[in-house]
Amino acid sequence: MSTDLTQLSIAQAARLIAQRELSPVELTQACIARTEALDAQLNAFVTFTPELALAAARVAETEIAAGHHRGPLHGIPVGLKDIYDTAGVATTAHSRLLRQRVPTEDAFTVQQLKAAGAVITGKLGTFEFAIGGPSFDLFTPPARNPWDPARTTGGSSSGSGAAVAAGMVLGATGSDTGGSIRSPSALCGLAGIKPTYGLLSRRGILPLSQSLDHAGPMCWTVQDTALMLQAMAGHDPLDPACAAVAPVDFSARIGQSVKGKTIGVIRHFHEKDHVASPSVLAAIDQAISVYRDLGCEVREVTLPPLADFAAVGILIMLSEAFAIHEADLRATPELYGEICRDRISLGAMTTGGDYVQALRRRRELSLAVAEAMVGIDVLLTAGSPFPAQAIDNVPKWLMFQKPSVTMPFNVTGLPALSVCGGYETGTGLPVSFQLIGHAFEEATVFQLGHAYEQATAWRAVRPALATH
Amino acid sequence: MTEPAPSSDITLLLQRAGFALTPVQIAEYTEAYGYITEMAARIRSPRSYMAEPAHVFSPAVAATEVTS
Repeated sequence: MSTDLTQLSIAQAARLIAQRELSPVELTQACIARTEALDAQLNAFVTFTPELALAAARVAETEIAAGHHRGPLHGIPVGLKDIYDTAGVATTAHSRLLRQRVPTEDAFTVQQLKAAGAVITGKLGTFEFAIGGPSFDLFTPPARNPWDPARTTGGSSSGSGAAVAAGMVLGATGSDTGGSIRSPSALCGLAGIKPTYGLLSRRGILPLSQSLDHAGPMCWTVQDTALMLQAMAGHDPLDPACAAVAPVDFSARIGQSVKGKTIGVIRHFHEKDHVASPSVLAAIDQAISVYRDLGCEVREVTLPPLADFAAVGILIMLSEAFAIHEADLRATPELYGEICRDRISLGAMTTGGDYVQALRRRRELSLAVAEAMVGIDVLLTAGSPFPAQAIDNVPKWLMFQKPSVTMPFNVTGLPALSVCGGYETGTGLPVSFQLIGHAFEEATVFQLGHAYEQATAWRAVRPALATH
Repeated sequence: MTEPAPSSDITLLLQRAGFALTPVQIAEYTEAYGYITEMAARIRSPRSYMAEPAHVFSPAVAATEVTS
């Protein structure tokens, strides 16, 4: 076991806390100390609340000592992307527009995390309104990558990626409209899941594009991601898109053999439609080899072109985001950062016809993926086509230049998990792959992601900056 | 990428949206508009009248919302 408490996984810490061998207060103090040591360099937090965290940790400790252990998240320090509403604590979307906004109610998923006993240490930086970044003209600077602070974390859940990788928290919430959980998970070396659309409530989470927005957790390991998803889940009748599905144990298949599982590799996504870097291609080949050694059957599958998914996703996202922001963009454009303002304003240049055609094509694409997945347990492709790029060199129109490998699963709503697939030779930067499951089959996705982590040694490697 | 639209077209769209932009901003939007028109063309493959949009509507959930 690691002697550095900040490098425990949630599963490890939970076991020790349940056995009363680890104090939630000591664990929280360790995470606070790590945050105080590193956040000036990484800018992960926009609102850091150590006093509230310590108070919650003391309550957890008292409850556990009294024999009331709520479950694996009880006493575990976590951070929240700053688009999740928190009663009494500012929720700003990292935007000057909402700089003074203090909600009176927690988001549904925050209520769930608190009910599970999680200790919230603060609000984490985001690309402004989950779309604009990395930006240097907001009220705090953008989060930096713990593997190399000169590089971006990816976005939009940028602070979440930095905070978990650096050991400031053991888990964090993210949101994903076109890849905003999976991209920073990939570039920061984490496990992060965009669950099935409708599995988690979006109520109390500032929207970017309602029909593509997904909440989800980002953690160091796949198993932790399953545990945190469990704590966040639950039917919310006040979110019209929240599905009334029967409760599922997302960890039920963790540790079970994957022999006989069938993996469909969408090779054209990462080898032709958006050619990934050699390090990512090598990691995918290695992952396929690992799964074959574990007894999986690997097939190649062909889906519609990646550019079709990207076009559908971007046109829907721009149209819906513009509808949310148009009044503020007209009235107070100066309160937005440049990148966010300009990206969302593009929605003014789409037509009603574009939006409806995108919705119609969305249905066709979803059916095509469902047909391709018959007889297949999970799909596999790149998590990000490249490792983290320089933070000061991200083009404003990046999303248009090459089709996203993550957007297809916002368009289809299928669960998609980013798994760390190793580190690039030379730079040491993380590379990753995605596993995509059938709707509401997160447990199978976790089973396969965990099996890969157990068969490789990548989870033992942390950013050097976080181990000093 | 398709041919860029005349900046007068872009200006018209942005004026309709209520935006007053600088020439530099209009030039940037013109570049992005090329991508948008390309994507809009890509998704306009022939499909039947019966090809419905993807959408989510649950009467059961809506009823819960009204009565809760």
